Amino acid sequence: MKRSLQSMTAIVAAMSALGAGAAAAQTAVADPAAPVEYEGTIKVLTKFGMQRLAPYFTELAQEYEAQHPGVTIELIQEDDDSVKGKTKTLVASNSIPDVFFSWTGTWGGNFIRGERAVDLTPVIGPDTEWGKTFAPAAVDAFVYDGKHYGIPLYLDAKFMGYSKPIFEKLGLSVPETLEDMLAACDTIKEAGITPISIGNKEPWVAVHYLGQLLAYNVPKDVLERDFDPATAEYADPGYVASLEQFKAIADRCTIGAGMNGISYQNALQELSDGKSAMYYQEIIEFDNSASAKTKLKPEEFGFFPLPAPKDAKGDPKALEGAPEGYMISSASENVPLALDFMKFVTSQANAKVLSAPPYGQPSAVIGGADPAQMSPAVVGGLEDIAEASYLMQWLDTVNHPRVAAAWLSNLQAFAGGSVTAEEVVAEVRAAAAAAK
Amino acid sequence: MSGATHSARGFWPVMGQAFLWAFLLAVGVVVLYPLLWMGLGGFKSNSQIFDQPFALPQSWSLENYFSAWRGVQGYMVSSLLVTLVSTVATVLISARAAYGLTRTAMPAKPLITAFVLGGMMLSPTVALVPLVRMLQSLGLYDTHWALIILYTAFRVPFTTFLIRAYMLDLPRDLDEAAMMDGASPGQIYRRIILPLCRPIIVSCVVLHILFAWNEYLFAMIFTNSPSVQTLPVGLTSMMSKHGTDFAQVFAAMTLSALPIVIIFFLTQRYFIRGLTEGMAK
Amino acid sequence: MSLSADIGKSGVALGGPALGAGRGPRLRPLLSRLLALRWIAVALVLVGWFVYYPIVDNFFVSTTNQDIFTGEVTQVGLDNYRRLAEDPVVGRALWNNGAYAVLSIVFQVFAAFCLAAIVEGLSSERWRNFWRALYFVPSAISTTVTGLLFYFIYQPDIGILDGLLKALNLEHWSHVWLGDPQTAIYAIIAMSQWQGFGYSTLLFTIAIQKIPQELYDAARMDGAGPLRQLWSITFPLTREMTGMMIIVTVTGAFQVFNEVMVMTGGGPNNSSQVLGTWLYEQGFNQNDMGYAAAIGSVVFAVTMLTGILQLWYTRRRRVLA
Repeated sequence: MKRSLQSMTAIVAAMSALGAGAAAAQTAVADPAAPVEYEGTIKVLTKFGMQRLAPYFTELAQEYEAQHPGVTIELIQEDDDSVKGKTKTLVASNSIPDVFFSWTGTWGGNFIRGERAVDLTPVIGPDTEWGKTFAPAAVDAFVYDGKHYGIPLYLDAKFMGYSKPIFEKLGLSVPETLEDMLAACDTIKEAGITPISIGNKEPWVAVHYLGQLLAYNVPKDVLERDFDPATAEYADPGYVASLEQFKAIADRCTIGAGMNGISYQNALQELSDGKSAMYYQEIIEFDNSASAKTKLKPEEFGFFPLPAPKDAKGDPKALEGAPEGYMISSASENVPLALDFMKFVTSQANAKVLSAPPYGQPSAVIGGADPAQMSPAVVGGLEDIAEASYLMQWLDTVNHPRVAAAWLSNLQAFAGGSVTAEEVVAEVRAAAAAAK
Repeated sequence: MSGATHSARGFWPVMGQAFLWAFLLAVGVVVLYPLLWMGLGGFKSNSQIFDQPFALPQSWSLENYFSAWRGVQGYMVSSLLVTLVSTVATVLISARAAYGLTRTAMPAKPLITAFVLGGMMLSPTVALVPLVRMLQSLGLYDTHWALIILYTAFRVPFTTFLIRAYMLDLPRDLDEAAMMDGASPGQIYRRIILPLCRPIIVSCVVLHILFAWNEYLFAMIFTNSPSVQTLPVGLTSMMSKHGTDFAQVFAAMTLSALPIVIIFFLTQRYFIRGLTEGMAK
Repeated sequence: MSLSADIGKSGVALGGPALGAGRGPRLRPLLSRLLALRWIAVALVLVGWFVYYPIVDNFFVSTTNQDIFTGEVTQVGLDNYRRLAEDPVVGRALWNNGAYAVLSIVFQVFAAFCLAAIVEGLSSERWRNFWRALYFVPSAISTTVTGLLFYFIYQPDIGILDGLLKALNLEHWSHVWLGDPQTAIYAIIAMSQWQGFGYSTLLFTIAIQKIPQELYDAARMDGAGPLRQLWSITFPLTREMTGMMIIVTVTGAFQVFNEVMVMTGGGPNNSSQVLGTWLYEQGFNQNDMGYAAAIGSVVFAVTMLTGILQLWYTRRRRVLA
């Protein structure tokens, strides 16, 4: 009996050793001179799972495979919601694909901290041939500790999209201040139309509103200090003020607490169907809100940045958004091939395809956005991004996961009316303290 | 013949019967209507789904069903494969185990019985975190084998429990007679016991198919390539990827539910018979 | 019952003549007994490796903090359990799982029992089979499908529930069912009852069929009405099934995952979080495997407890072989 117990322990120990054995790989640095071997399989995790976007990578993969018959590109296409959980599951099980999607900020930083991403400085850093093809701000968004880790694919920022016919019918003009917008909402409501459709079942929706409002109400240096759990204070009055402004928008412009039961996709559909006057969206959703197939036609679609409140203490020229891009896994067995595929994806010709409808993802490649082919709204949005004085990253990817989770769930409670603005800030502060 | 058969004479018994039937019918409508609504939704246009949720489809075009089929067929193949292999494996392994537990003189039998059947109490949720690492180090992560092995391992205890209970109730004269004739245990198992156990084995097959076809937790965590994912996971990703093209989602849901409902109706007589006889009284 | 003794005897005899013809007489029984293990070997390995071992390992993981990105593991002792005690969402999840269990007992055990008695009371066998099969249909369908379906049904814009309330002039009842923290979990539980009651009804009808008809005949001779028969014959004679069903239902209620994940993902504001989804959220969304494992231990404790209850219950009723 005793002996069998011993052997059991041995087996258990052996098995757990087996499990723990697969630790993270060492920091890998990309070698620009490495020859590309057109052999084998490259796995790519994208964020283009939506039916509308999926063909982009599918077609590129087919084209690339046709050019290089020895290569197979295996796509794992997720969407905005599922990519977060999927990425973490892949990391936890040590099976990160060769090429994977990443946001900037703390999200991307996790891969660098864990030495899971290849240092791309020699191939995409300043003064490299490839690096020069991108908008500098976009490449720089993926710099961590002075090294380049990301391949930016497109630029993104949040705007209020609106239906021009509804605004015209009610005699409304584009609001200059938050107060103007709230007044416009009252008018639209009286006409029996939902002013802003919003679906907060996926709780990042309200977090996006708040992110933009925080940029308006809280000074930039305070914000950036608070993003780091080690120095976070969350003492600025701008936090509560932003929450109160969100509350005002929720009360006067939307269905209110009911938003928590509606999916963001349904809310977007309401704008497309002409049932609501506005929907707060990313530039990469413009061609989804209004297309040849929707009731709201592209020429009827307008947009403006969420207007800043009159007495904003922060930066009224700031815009919420960030470039989004891809990293190369340090565990990849064929880094040169993975890079070659991404060079293909970010070629000027393919960038133009990405910027134009039906995709409408404004490319980060210089000259990759051809206004003649693109929706006018996307072109206009790009100009606004270029003029923005500060790009505020998404609250749920720039923060530590626990702080992000606190924002997400507490803001949902706030939208539902069960907690106060002060309580939300207190919870976030507590989460930051616990994450220290 | 069952319980309370009443003679339908007099006013009150008739009223009572009428009330019972109305009740059964009402429950039936509650059960069936949502499913019908789902199936009909697949025929509607997207705007009709939004504007007239109760109306019948304007046309009976199968367009949504065809495009939904293109979307789910890959997942369907994975589901079919995983379900088929894990069903065969589970039932064979369990039947052998049940035979061993009821008809042989293995050492430490009570302990082994408790060990195998005790597995019924352990929930997949608890094993989730360690399994991620384990399957990865075994190189099974994101393969059909991951699901096949897990579905088998987690269902063997319950299936063994059912088959064992059935075998315990089988008369022993037949296998004793065969033994006298010099049949080996393997022969007795194949020629006598297994055929006798057919009803419970059919029930176990059906129960396992229901389980494997519908399982979500393991499938969601241990697979990620579309070529490996099964229907339940494929459906949720379809749902989020199709944005608001709900008509297609409805069609896809209907398509994924249909095979299992058909299987149930085809086998329900044997299924119920096996359970009836298997339930140790 | 003396079944176990019988098995033992026949088992020994069974191994005897077939095996080890040339060996010494003493070695033979032992060898054949060991050889009998081959019948169960695969099951033992599979269950031991993939069911038991992870559950043991889960406890070890729960005493660590792991960073999935760096692969760093730190021993933290019982810290995760301390955190568990202070986590309000764990309390909420336990409450939700508990509500799931209680409501499921009401609908899937007691209501299903009554329904089964009514169905079995029908005189036409064809109709009995018909209703039984019809009610079972939702149970055959994947929870992903039914979850998504009810997600649509509860939607304010396209859902038929609010439409139905409007048609019945009960508009003031209409509600964003899944968006209100007060109702979200109950809306999910309601779906679960819709899906699950047919399965237990089916099992109860099987149990009722096993009751000898003579008992009812005798009761009728004594002038007992249908309700009286239900109470004094059907109910006591299906008690074993009832007990089993309660335990199965409770265990199931603490393993709920799929429907919550599909319908609300635990929101709004974690109000519909159950242990399973909270474990997933912590482990796979918040990068906290150690804490997730600790939540797993809670699930383990609860299911183990009901498991032991089940064992005790069946032991008491009938001797297991």
